[in-house]
Amino acid sequence: MSAPAKGRKYLYIAAAVIIIAIIGVALYYFLAPPPPPQKVKLVVIGPWSGDEAEYFKAVIDEYVKKHPNVEIEYRVMRAEDVASTVPVQFAAGTTPGDVIFGWAWFIAKMGREGHLVDLTNVINEKEYVPGIVDAVKADGKIWGAPFTMWLKPGFWYRKSFFERHGLTEPKSYSELVQLLEKIKGIPGIKNPMATGDGVGWPMSDITEHFIIAYGGTQMQLDLISGKTRFTDPSVRKVFSDYLVPLIEKGYFSEPIEWTTVIPKWWAGEYGLYFMGTWITGMVEDPNDLDFFPLPESKGVVGGADYAFVPKYSKNIDAAIDFIKYLATEGQGVHASVPSGKIPTWTKVPVDKLWKPMQSVYTKITQRGMAILPDLDDSVGGDWQRLFWDQLKLLWVNPGELDSVLRTLEASQPKPT
Amino acid sequence: MKPKNLKEEVLLFLGPPLTILAIFVAYPILGTITLSFLSRGSFTLENYRDVLFETIPLKALIVTNPGPHPPWGALIHNALWILIAVPVVVLLGMLLAYILRKTFGSSIILGIIFLGMVLPGVVSGLIIRFMFDEYIGMFPRIFALFNVPLLSKTWTIYPQSALFALILGSIWLWLGFSVTLYSAGLDSIPPSLIEAALIDGASEREIFIKIIVPQLKPVTIVVTLMTIMWILKIFDIVYVVTGGGPGGASTVLALIMYTYFASALEHNKAAAVAVILAVLTLVPAYWYIRMVLSGEKQ
Repeated sequence: MSAPAKGRKYLYIAAAVIIIAIIGVALYYFLAPPPPPQKVKLVVIGPWSGDEAEYFKAVIDEYVKKHPNVEIEYRVMRAEDVASTVPVQFAAGTTPGDVIFGWAWFIAKMGREGHLVDLTNVINEKEYVPGIVDAVKADGKIWGAPFTMWLKPGFWYRKSFFERHGLTEPKSYSELVQLLEKIKGIPGIKNPMATGDGVGWPMSDITEHFIIAYGGTQMQLDLISGKTRFTDPSVRKVFSDYLVPLIEKGYFSEPIEWTTVIPKWWAGEYGLYFMGTWITGMVEDPNDLDFFPLPESKGVVGGADYAFVPKYSKNIDAAIDFIKYLATEGQGVHASVPSGKIPTWTKVPVDKLWKPMQSVYTKITQRGMAILPDLDDSVGGDWQRLFWDQLKLLWVNPGELDSVLRTLEASQPKPT
Repeated sequence: MKPKNLKEEVLLFLGPPLTILAIFVAYPILGTITLSFLSRGSFTLENYRDVLFETIPLKALIVTNPGPHPPWGALIHNALWILIAVPVVVLLGMLLAYILRKTFGSSIILGIIFLGMVLPGVVSGLIIRFMFDEYIGMFPRIFALFNVPLLSKTWTIYPQSALFALILGSIWLWLGFSVTLYSAGLDSIPPSLIEAALIDGASEREIFIKIIVPQLKPVTIVVTLMTIMWILKIFDIVYVVTGGGPGGASTVLALIMYTYFASALEHNKAAAVAVILAVLTLVPAYWYIRMVLSGEKQ
């Protein structure tokens, strides 16, 4: 073979090798399985710890099962801590988490200030309990996603305690007083009703229940908007004629840390305990539990936990997907475990709720009670702490009623 | 060494710490002071005026119409705290240190007293809550034995007693510091002084008043100044035990600063309270530093 022919032959071989290599690479590219997608890590911040955190973890686990490329780290931070620390981080353009739970007023405020992702296209308002999304709306946009809902339906009692002492649910205020007097006479009882304490919210829940029962559902809404003032004679009447007499007669206990009082109440040191529906998940036997609202009440306070996505999140798309799940199917998961919550997303069927919550829900709907927003949570901010603190004062010094009402009115927001 | 090299060395050694101090100490201080004078984009005294004349119980520095019991305003509460706690911490610390050094097993008692100093504020706060609880608290139980109904209840939930519960609790917390310093001070008194007094026929009481107390004067000044500074800054136990309540009956300056910052989200007013608090703390701090520096010179 001549030298040029030999050179041409090598050239063909080289060209063939290159072509085969290109085809091989192309085939590998098109036929080989795609590399596993990179894991996305989301930091979720919520207020739940202990058992409550476990119930929320069930919601996270369900999501992660369907989204194996998402890793979720749950961190605990109370709403008051979120409100106090997060604004500073937002000001610096950072965020401690990708999905954060917080107070509704706080979410609306942060949204208005431009720190949050707009969720208007994520949340379909028509699919939720009426009015529940309003709390997180500002400037015509939705800044927060509603999660499950708690209710503060009335006074909880042990069925066995009532049966043992021949007690029945009251049908009027005077019957309530008679019931309290009967409980007071039972040996071992310290006070007929336990008063929970903490930063102060349990007393505000009791007060709001009295406002709704004896001032009416509209009074609750007007106090939130500021249209009705705390010094109004109609508001004073609720306190002076219904709540304060019970405090003065010692029917309520002194404020005791709200979780430590549960075993005492369960053991029979107190007959009744006003608390939210989450109590169902905190007692030894939820089947022995029942409640009654104040007989004249036409409404109960209910409120959702709300989550938001800060615009400083590094995984905004994943965070939005997760928050959408929380606001919809995730609610079904949370309501099916002993969280003591009901869904705000109306597409969750009632039979999916945890059994004790099904009966609570049924009792409230049978009575035709309206679900109203929480007064102090709706007003929020500085006034909320003042409200709690002044009620603590009222509980131990009921004679200071007028001073308490004047102080609350002085700082109460004016209607816009 | 050449002066140029000396300059370089000074720069080399002082540069890094001064830079760190400038960034992490000077800048935040100047930033806070600036913030305290800023209101709606202009320099003004408005924030100071607002915080000084605030009437909301949880934020009031001075209550304009004070009643027979708290709330009287955070400034008055802090002042009252100093008036009660400082003499007790000084006197009790000195007496305990003096008595315990002659007592068998005193180290165990000293250890218990010192426990308050080493516990985290939140834990101390919880212990104080228990100390004054109607059912398990030591103080209400003692008063129940003597049939004093007003003080047989949970102290921390009544406006009449909440502040005093905190003050008593803080005395326990700070007593360890006082006793430790006085114990060290007692060790430094020359035994010959006491021996000479004994030879001259001085009684134990006379030795304590005329020799021990004057000899411990420098320690007393340190304990007094440090206790005042500590009381002015006090926050954690108040936050945990009462949150400033009920009805603002136990607010203190540091808590008011936190309320403006974290609850009201009024950062400029929080800065104004911080500056007021810093100025008040600087008075004892100035005397303390002056004393330390004069001691070094001697």
